[in-house]
Amino acid sequence: MTRITLGGAVLRGTVSAALVVSLMSASALGAPPVDLSKWSPEYVRSIAGTQDFDTAADCGKVTPLDYKGRLTFWYQGVFEGDPDLLRQYYKEFFETFRKTYPNIQLEEQALTYNDLLDKFRTALLGNAAPMAVRLQILGGTEFAAKGYLQPLKPEDVGYSTEDFWPGAMKAVTWDGVTYGIPTNNETMAFIWNADIFKRAGLDPDKAPATWDDVVKYSKQIHDKLGISGYGLVARKNAGNTPYRFMPQLWAYGGGVFDEATANPTYKEVELNSPQSKAALQASYDMYVRDKSVPVSALTNQQADNQPLFLAGQLGMMVSHPSDYNVMLDLQKKATGTDKDKAQTVIDNMRYGLIPTGPDGKRAVVFGGSNIHILKPEYVEGGKVDEPAAKAIICMWTSPEWSLKMAYAGSNPGNLNGFKTKWMKERLDSIKFLDVTTSMLPYGIPFPALPQSPEIMNIIVPDMLQNALTGAMTVDQAADDAAEKVKSLVEGKL
Amino acid sequence: MTIVTGKAEARRRLQSGRSGVLWKMWEHRADYAYVLPAIAVMLIVIAYPIYYTIELSFFKTPPGLQLRDKIYVGFDNYTNILTSPVFWKVTWNTMIWTLASTFISFVLGFGSALALHRDFIGRGVLRAILIIPWVISAVAASYIWKWIYHSDFGVIGAVLVGLGLADRPPNFIDNVSTVLPSLIVVNIWREFPFAMIMMMAGLQTVPEQLLSAAKVDGASAWQRFWHVTFPHLSSVSTVTILLLAVANFNSFIIPWIMTGGGPSNASHIWITHIYELAFGRQLWGVASAYSVLLFLILMTLGYFYVRALSGNERKEGSA
Repeated sequence: MTRITLGGAVLRGTVSAALVVSLMSASALGAPPVDLSKWSPEYVRSIAGTQDFDTAADCGKVTPLDYKGRLTFWYQGVFEGDPDLLRQYYKEFFETFRKTYPNIQLEEQALTYNDLLDKFRTALLGNAAPMAVRLQILGGTEFAAKGYLQPLKPEDVGYSTEDFWPGAMKAVTWDGVTYGIPTNNETMAFIWNADIFKRAGLDPDKAPATWDDVVKYSKQIHDKLGISGYGLVARKNAGNTPYRFMPQLWAYGGGVFDEATANPTYKEVELNSPQSKAALQASYDMYVRDKSVPVSALTNQQADNQPLFLAGQLGMMVSHPSDYNVMLDLQKKATGTDKDKAQTVIDNMRYGLIPTGPDGKRAVVFGGSNIHILKPEYVEGGKVDEPAAKAIICMWTSPEWSLKMAYAGSNPGNLNGFKTKWMKERLDSIKFLDVTTSMLPYGIPFPALPQSPEIMNIIVPDMLQNALTGAMTVDQAADDAAEKVKSLVEGKL
Repeated sequence: MTIVTGKAEARRRLQSGRSGVLWKMWEHRADYAYVLPAIAVMLIVIAYPIYYTIELSFFKTPPGLQLRDKIYVGFDNYTNILTSPVFWKVTWNTMIWTLASTFISFVLGFGSALALHRDFIGRGVLRAILIIPWVISAVAASYIWKWIYHSDFGVIGAVLVGLGLADRPPNFIDNVSTVLPSLIVVNIWREFPFAMIMMMAGLQTVPEQLLSAAKVDGASAWQRFWHVTFPHLSSVSTVTILLLAVANFNSFIIPWIMTGGGPSNASHIWITHIYELAFGRQLWGVASAYSVLLFLILMTLGYFYVRALSGNERKEGSA
């Protein structure tokens, strides 16, 4: 059975007070239900299972349980890269909602991460949007800035702003007004195969400390074993790319703007700074110089790295805690000797903190999703059933469901979720969860700008592709991307 | 005795012609009534979008603004497109994609049709097999081909490495030089059965008597093909080529699913680039200007298509 190997890396990964503060907006400096300054795997364990919550009773105060209405709802659902466990919880959520609110006619629609924004934008143009939507963290600001969303804060559904991660509240705030509530917040971690490390002559229980080490380890693995070292992802229009490249960019001291600082202003474009170029150079070195990463990185996403890792053909990757469960699901589907090989990989799976940059800076995308209510004029039929919308939002963002819906792959948006019995159960059953919760204080939200989706999904991957294909040099690719961001923000396009 | 001048006669004929047209229209009023709903629907679903796209092409649509708050920029979008190096790169890709796919699909389809026109054992089975690529879902085919081409553990790569013909799997779709030809191969694989079916239908119309007569007169197989079969297939060939060209200009599924236009725009063709500009980057104005340009090109092709069809009808009418 796999043992959790946190080592010194995790110890060093306990609270970085400065970074925690960087996640706090002034308005959120209240009294959160958990003490963020004590955040550590031990602290998370100590609060798990200490409080009970009655979701139906709490939400009944927001929208009476016998309320009769109709709700259209779109959400970013589970997709091929998610574990079966999560699928089960999504199913249970909608069943429970229908039992709790039997008189609300719910018409829900699940969309994948990559399809949701496109479809939602198109629906809005035709005033055919759903009444409520759960969007990826990247999307909220764009739609708030355009005036599509109704103001919505945690207090509107019976919670307090302090119940949510301050950094997450930034992502639902535009021009000082809150337009949504975080459902889940996640940070990824670093995953490696101890057996591959051992065979490549590396310490099997020690993650690379810096991104420069990742480049070195990746080359060593490739040169000695002939397999890919690090699971680089550089596909355009796929959320996986910024989630894996931005931590690298920030660790080197770069950024799109100054989003990695405590009080970002998003004024100066820094995508072509020497630090940003150093981060891009590291990717170039792995892909072009050393050829130590999957060649398919330009057209594939993380879901393609998972089977590669399970087949023992990939040494390291950045991913969710859920990848352990995904590996178990994939292993169950394997047959013959593949099944045993997969089990060997699972036994050798290790999680650690994401490496730092040359100056010891560690960073990860503060990801997640938010839930919003649309303005009636953009909704099909021109009406929004607010009590019905608030009922589902109250349930999804409750301590219970914000945890269950993030059971295997993320963390509850509502901090009270960490206190529930399900969190305790989760800590015992989901391996490596300690590591990913330890990364939370290092989380940096994407720039809270309406242009963020284009920057993260198009411009940053384009920069990577231009450099990695040799279409441009590293310098040219970074300069080109910086110019595009500048034009976009200045409204030249 | 009435003297009719040439001028007066011409006027009279014109008037009677006009009243004749009107009379004919009146006689066919029921037919017009039948097609009126279809015309109304077309006006709503085709004419209005065309008008709106043209209108939108003169506006800028920043990501922070709703579409209704668009900013008038005149011909800036057209200027920006035509001066953008990406546009010319994508245009070049589109030309290669369309011409190569159309030409090779047609040649392969025609060749297959000629082969399958002959009577031999297993012809029916072979026909059915060759039609498979055309009838299966383009989405499913794209995903399958993506795995066949996969740069790390694709089927082709595994076979080549397994046979010792390559040290590592060839890079088909993660390389700017090979990605477009690789996608064209998939497109041809999917499209040539269409050309084959069209040409097989055309071959049925070639008169057997003429072929027999030519044979009796001592014409070789090539001469029979070139002087009898081919002239009979010129119309259906033109229509097939035009239909393939229009379909290829509009081809979206294969490049979008397999590469998303990447890497580094190397497999973007107009239609995928327009989609990315509109839905990925929300540059609705630029995407509309792009669409207007594409529309003009397709209308030109459509004109030739209609002319080819009319030519066929005239030929058939005079035959």
